[in-house]
Amino acid sequence: MTRIAMTTAALCLGLPAAAQEFSDGSEAKTWNLAAETPARFEATVVDMLCELTGDCAEDCGGGKRQLGLLRSVDGVLVYPNKNNQPAFTGAALDLAPYCGAEVEVDGLMIEDPELGATNIYLVQKIREVGASEWVTANSWTKKWAEAHPDAEGKGPWFRRDPRVQGMIGESGYLGLGLEADEAFIEEWF
Amino acid sequence: MKRFWVSVVLACSAPVSAIAAEGERVEVRGEIIDTWCYYSGVMGGPDAVVGTAHHTCALWCSAGGIPVGLLGEDGAVYMVLKIEADDASASGDTQLRLASHEVTADGMLYRRDGLNYLVVEEVVTDHGITNLSHDIYGPVPGFAIPEPAE
Repeated sequence: MTRIAMTTAALCLGLPAAAQEFSDGSEAKTWNLAAETPARFEATVVDMLCELTGDCAEDCGGGKRQLGLLRSVDGVLVYPNKNNQPAFTGAALDLAPYCGAEVEVDGLMIEDPELGATNIYLVQKIREVGASEWVTANSWTKKWAEAHPDAEGKGPWFRRDPRVQGMIGESGYLGLGLEADEAFIEEWF
Repeated sequence: MKRFWVSVVLACSAPVSAIAAEGERVEVRGEIIDTWCYYSGVMGGPDAVVGTAHHTCALWCSAGGIPVGLLGEDGAVYMVLKIEADDASASGDTQLRLASHEVTADGMLYRRDGLNYLVVEEVVTDHGITNLSHDIYGPVPGFAIPEPAE
């Protein structure tokens, strides 16, 4: 009986369908991360808070809430932590237009048992199931620029973001206050 | 044999919510971290991407919509989905203000597919930034602090 139960659980959970299986057909580009594996699969885009607790928001929060990928083949909730931009940017804004939709995604799965990382995902491309064209998950910086037309200064968004500038202006790069920053910078550089 | 496969099909077709774990009340103490840098190793080992060394990057990642987590004293990461009344878990103000802070949080824990998720009902204590990792690692990444002009 125990063996039957374990076999049923394995079949249900898709245990043999580990990350390796999802690499079939993936065109994901490497980020040279030690724990990355290419992964392409179909899923439903869900509001993480709603999925886990029943506390739901209209339009999955419109990009303000974290979104998940409820994988179609095995029901596993994959957590996209990152979009495809090397710019300190998450995936919620790229996934938000697909709230509730069935999509196909391609990207990198992070599995690192030592750190407890599992089902962590970097999404590179998205398309609705049945669509022919992929959409690259790189819209974050464009949306930030549209929301911050008056952001001053030069350089990437993270040097010009008003909230980040405000935090650093208040408590420094180390977070310990401006005096601590000054002493460290003098010693470090 | 036929009965076995019918059982498998019935078991597998049960709604996911029916097998999801219930939440449990917990109090967790730990640091609010940037989960991508911690999990991916993109900036170095786990000890280098926490605390003061990584504070500026933690601000960038939090403002950039990367999920924040609470790295508990037990070494586990709790993915934070809400802090008190603020459900903006992507780029939200509350989580940005708490970047790198050690906090004691009371809330509900949900476990799903190998990850821990935390809905913080109350930040019981904000202990401030206590991990002075810059003494060992300097700024991580190295360009986090702009080099002063000559």
